[in-house]
Amino acid sequence: MESFIINVLNGMSWGMLLFLISVGLTTVFGVLGVLNFAHGSFFMLGAYLCMQIMHIAPSFWVGILIGPLAVALLGVVIEKTLLTRIYNRDVSFQLLLTFAILLVIDDAVRLIYGPGYHVVEAPAILAGVFPLFDHSYPIYRLFLIVIGPVVGLGLWAFFRYTRWGKIVRAAAADREMAEGVGIRAPLLFTMVFALGSWLAALGGALAAPQQSLSPAMGERIIIESFIVVVIGGMGSFPGAFVGALILGLCESFGTVFAGRAQMAVPYILLAAVLLIRPRGFFGREA
Amino acid sequence: MIRKCKTMTWLIVFMAIGALLALPSGAAKPVKLGFVYIMSGPFATYGQFAKQGAEMAIEQINAAGGINGSPVEAFFEDSTGKPDAALRAIRKLVYQEKVDCLIGLDSSGVAKTVAPSIGKLKTPLIITHAATPDVTGSVCNKYVFRISLNLAQNIKTAAGVAALGDAKKWTTIGPDYAFGHQSWEYFQKYLAQIKPDAEFLPSDQVVFSPTKTTDFSAYITKIMQSKPDGVLISLWGGNLIDFVRQGSEMGFFNGDFEVLSTLGAAVEVLDALGDKMPEGIWVGTRYWFLGNDSPINQAFVKTFQEKYNAYPSYNAENAYGAVLTYQAAAKKAGSVDKDKIVAALEGLSVELPVGNIFIRPEDHQAITDACWGVTAADPAYPIRILKPFKVFSGAEITPAPAETGCNMN
Repeated sequence: MESFIINVLNGMSWGMLLFLISVGLTTVFGVLGVLNFAHGSFFMLGAYLCMQIMHIAPSFWVGILIGPLAVALLGVVIEKTLLTRIYNRDVSFQLLLTFAILLVIDDAVRLIYGPGYHVVEAPAILAGVFPLFDHSYPIYRLFLIVIGPVVGLGLWAFFRYTRWGKIVRAAAADREMAEGVGIRAPLLFTMVFALGSWLAALGGALAAPQQSLSPAMGERIIIESFIVVVIGGMGSFPGAFVGALILGLCESFGTVFAGRAQMAVPYILLAAVLLIRPRGFFGREA
Repeated sequence: MIRKCKTMTWLIVFMAIGALLALPSGAAKPVKLGFVYIMSGPFATYGQFAKQGAEMAIEQINAAGGINGSPVEAFFEDSTGKPDAALRAIRKLVYQEKVDCLIGLDSSGVAKTVAPSIGKLKTPLIITHAATPDVTGSVCNKYVFRISLNLAQNIKTAAGVAALGDAKKWTTIGPDYAFGHQSWEYFQKYLAQIKPDAEFLPSDQVVFSPTKTTDFSAYITKIMQSKPDGVLISLWGGNLIDFVRQGSEMGFFNGDFEVLSTLGAAVEVLDALGDKMPEGIWVGTRYWFLGNDSPINQAFVKTFQEKYNAYPSYNAENAYGAVLTYQAAAKKAGSVDKDKIVAALEGLSVELPVGNIFIRPEDHQAITDACWGVTAADPAYPIRILKPFKVFSGAEITPAPAETGCNMN
């Protein structure tokens, strides 16, 4: 029982971090139809900017507030200047362009901060541990487990109940029709891309207190985010939540019980979903 | 017409650049050294330290008149930590830049794949970081040398350290590739020799994490639940940093069991962790900057700190040492001819910041001391230092040539 609960907590805290990253990826794909390879770089940038801001104003909360906003702003610039040019082109252009953005951002960070490892401290209120059975468990992990659903619910309410959310969903369903009834799709696309970038950076800033920062941290997480998005259904919002949770739990239980086969667990899961239900758990019919 | 003009202009510019590059410099023909390290990805900080160490050595040698009177020129290539990329980089250095000697290699996986090809390239390679016993063992060859501590030497020392305490039941966490698995295999072998009653957890209970892991909580939980007396950690770089931070929070370092970290005294790691590095755990390294008071070490540490504003890591020292080793070999041979260098490297003794090293002719592995110590806080340093600190003599921790499985012919 004891080990079961710890494994669930481990899996959920990792899953919620994956969720924050995947939800941005899936939203951008759902609305813009762009599979953004640079999403991991926004994640990494969020962590670095959070660290940078903490050097100036030594508060994690200021870092997590301003860092992701700065990345969202960068998202606006990238969407306006680069992405708009390739919406009507072949998918290979999207992949090439977003991959190029990834390389530029990663190398820029490497130039500025160097290739070394950096460490960000958790805010004092979350830095401690609480006793769990005869060991201790970090409070920060519980915070991650809570923040995931909070952000998720917030987004869900936004898409479901607000005027803007409804407009986004309308545009995602049928862009031409939406433009026909007077929705300014280009502006909308910019906002959605900024939202996606903000979510990735938020994930990065939240990950910073528990993993070391290096320019390659985005590359390491993007593969798993792709798996989450495919499992949950491309463009599906609840899909990202369920997919991330399943992947997180599979990895934590897999590590403990599957031994070396654990590495294969996410890929087996991916293959199984693709075979049995190619559109993912919550994906729309193609 | 305008377009034609433009094309012509570009052509002329290119030709001018080409002509400039081809101009004879007038000076003696330089000695060319090619360096292959990880310059990108999660372990890039190791490559950066190596580059700093190498550049410092070359600067000092050139200021003092070069190698046998010729200036030294350095070429750096990124191995990316992948065997095929490293091999491409090596071929480029040998065929295109025509280097006289290759220095580098961080990853054991890379070194093991690359070593057999070095024989065909007929260019000496001095390995300074990759620790797999195989490159001076089963796949050893005439052109491959290693001046840094290898895995067998480091783990034999770890077993010696483990035997100091009373832990009986051991387990491990390591990276899920040859390095992690071999570390555990050798640890069991050497510890069983010293302490016949030592127990080792079966293979389904020991833990190997993929290098891309960033969340170690499940691994930490698994180890703690197996209730060992001692844990051997062979993680390195960012993996080790993440593991230590997450482990501290989950009570891994509370003293329920002994912890040995085979590469925990790397400055890259200590620097990033600062006071987050737990005190009282045994950590090993190939070189420790406070390890000895020899004039060469003191000068090395002082210059390195002034130049780069950082404590020199083992990778910096090893790269620095490789350049010095090459210089000594060229002096002994009186030439930079590749085969004469190979002959001179065999049986060479050099004094490096880490101490005196001797390159064994039988397998081309250097006999070099191993450094282990216990992490401790010291107000004079922003990072954890090693107190007490122990040096294990190279002669005692190096397996006999017959044990390595190396056959030079």
